[in-house]
Amino acid sequence: MKKTLVVFAHPHFEYSHANAELIKAYGDFPEVDFKDLYEEYPDFHIASFRERKRIRDYERLVFHFPLIWFSSPPLLKLWIDEVFDLKWLSEDQNPLKNKDAVIIVTVGGKEENYSENGLYGTTISHLMKFLTLSLKVNSIEVKEILAIHNADDLTKAELTKFTDKIKHILQTP
Amino acid sequence: MSDTSLAMTSLIFLGAAIIMVPLVRKLGLSSVIGFILGGILIGPFGLKLTGNDSDDIMHATEFGVIMLLFLVGLEFEPKKFWKIRKKIFGMGLSQMLITIVVLFAIFYFAEWRTDQALVAAVCFALSSTAIVLQTLKEKNIFRTDAGEASFSILLFQDMSVIPILALLPILAKRPEENDHQILLQYLPDWLQPFSVILGVLVLIFLGRFVFVPFLRYVSRSGMNELLTASSLFLVIGVSELMASVGLSPALGAFLAGVMLATSEFRHELESQIDPFKGLLLAVFFVSVGATINFFVIMQDPMFIFTTTIVVLAVKFTVLFGVGKFFGLKTDQNLIVAFALSQIGEFSFVLVNYATKLYLLNPELNAQLMAITAITMCVTPVLLIINEKFLEPKFLNIQNDAFENTEPIKQQKIIIVGFGHFGSTVGRLLRVNGIQATVLDNDPQRVNLLKSNHFKVYFGDATKPGILRSAGAETADLLILCLDDPEKNKLILEYARKKYPQLKIFVRAKNRLDAYDFYNNGVDNIYRETLGTAVDMAVDILKATGMRSYAARRLGKRFMLIDKAMVRKLAKEQLKDKITFTMKESLEREAELLAEDSQSFDESQWNNNEEI
Repeated sequence: MKKTLVVFAHPHFEYSHANAELIKAYGDFPEVDFKDLYEEYPDFHIASFRERKRIRDYERLVFHFPLIWFSSPPLLKLWIDEVFDLKWLSEDQNPLKNKDAVIIVTVGGKEENYSENGLYGTTISHLMKFLTLSLKVNSIEVKEILAIHNADDLTKAELTKFTDKIKHILQTP
Repeated sequence: MSDTSLAMTSLIFLGAAIIMVPLVRKLGLSSVIGFILGGILIGPFGLKLTGNDSDDIMHATEFGVIMLLFLVGLEFEPKKFWKIRKKIFGMGLSQMLITIVVLFAIFYFAEWRTDQALVAAVCFALSSTAIVLQTLKEKNIFRTDAGEASFSILLFQDMSVIPILALLPILAKRPEENDHQILLQYLPDWLQPFSVILGVLVLIFLGRFVFVPFLRYVSRSGMNELLTASSLFLVIGVSELMASVGLSPALGAFLAGVMLATSEFRHELESQIDPFKGLLLAVFFVSVGATINFFVIMQDPMFIFTTTIVVLAVKFTVLFGVGKFFGLKTDQNLIVAFALSQIGEFSFVLVNYATKLYLLNPELNAQLMAITAITMCVTPVLLIINEKFLEPKFLNIQNDAFENTEPIKQQKIIIVGFGHFGSTVGRLLRVNGIQATVLDNDPQRVNLLKSNHFKVYFGDATKPGILRSAGAETADLLILCLDDPEKNKLILEYARKKYPQLKIFVRAKNRLDAYDFYNNGVDNIYRETLGTAVDMAVDILKATGMRSYAARRLGKRFMLIDKAMVRKLAKEQLKDKITFTMKESLEREAELLAEDSQSFDESQWNNNEEI
């Protein structure tokens, strides 16, 4: 199993029963480290140097967050801004090399609204461009984007299915 | 021995306690048993060290029981009481009533005299608060179902002592011969029957309008001894007053306690009275031991033996049944039933009182006392049996704590010091609905906060007793906000030693205090000069033309680096040779600050786009 860092960002985690259930997927594996951004950096002051040093150890990054106003929570964006160093792009040894990534995004809206002809006229994978492109220029391949729609209304059984799915993704090389 | 001085007798009594209590504690028994055994040892059937005056000493120290009731009253905060009211009245009342009825029936059919059977049944229905609370504390099961159930039943029993004390003279059909009833005789005849109500009303009036202002006045003097004196004055005064209107002093003390339970002096009074109570109760129990008449027991050992077994069996069965009815799990229920199966210390008081009223003859008195003492000694053994053999069988193994999404248990918080600093902390907690026990030793401030509906107690937390009575033994967080760093340090050191479970948050004046606190093993340190000074510097940077966001980032980083440096310097304080000096630390700090995590060289981006 790949050494994995889960970057989890949820500004109102205490009200999200869906995410409380989903993140149980990460507890089972010793190879998986879980970083709860809003708990670690409540004042939005990210320890960039420390994060940069530690990110080298991982082979896979998992970004897990709710979709808020069609984008990621601001702290996740800030984390990328602070941690991904522009200098890395020109370095031979980019610390982000040889990593892949997974995006897990919970969405309040229905699946059919997020299509070319749907209500919002765009898709989740399109909305994720800000993230996938940032990863791509750092030569990180995005393995999968898992969008969990109707997240507020899912039953426990349905959530468990998604949790199992996440576990499966983590174990896929 | 008749010419022994009072000092000499007390010496013998205390000596017996000092020798015996550590011994029985080593065997895992309650200290009450130690006192009683000590009493037996020095009594007329042991070393014959006590004279006839042990009876007198017993009466004198019955005052310890009055103080115990005062303290029970102090614990009776109406709100707390209300929360577990169903348990108290449901479990407590059914336990008392059923036990009394069953025991009375048994004694009645064993052809005891009816009134004696009733007195014995009532006395034996009570359990020992001292022993059970001690056991719960030692096993650390206060917050479990068993702990709460035991506490509720004991609370009800403690309350019912008061009506029982009032009931006994009626049962005796003999007015209590009391020299104190002078005041009562001054009342017009038609008023005399209402003396009880009158006494209670007077007490409520005093509690409302006299006690608290009086204590405030005394505390303003700032003299500790005066406060001790007035606490004693209050308790003794109230019980004398009650006696003079023909009421039980114990009832008076209890009511006075209840009246003061919601006042800011609750914890202070508790810690003042507690040592006296302890001392008097110790001597009281020793004198109980000294007055046990072994000749009576020897005459009819079978009677003592069978009665003890019957009482234990009845109490256990009733408790178990009541627990079952109120839905306790079997393992919890067993703890309650075993823990409360003994006869309590109030039974000594009640039995002696009943003898004074000629309800019981000296022979029966001695027998009942012996039975009580024996059951007390047996419970610890029963509890050990339960723990070793029964509990493992009934303990539910399916401990799926993860499935149970219970609400997070409210943390118990003590705040020490409620000046400008502490009250800011407290206000932010309060608007989030978090209750804290607040201690402050400025009587004027406490009074002011009280009138603004803050729940604040008067008390000097540098005195060990206060922290304990504020609940430090069961609390989770201790917040030290005193102005004087020396006092904070004193409390911190004491609390870390005595209550290692406490998570401590402490206010520090400056770096030097912070070193001290770090080296005392505390991690949550708040330098009052750091945050505000940094805020000011950030604003000054802005005023000199720096962009606000850049200034804020810098301020934040400064704080983090500074905290790390202080931590490092604190460790240096412990070494003999200082290798990392203040000057070096300041240089390093500047270096770190100069290094920014962001690179603003846009060429990186352009170069890459071209490729």
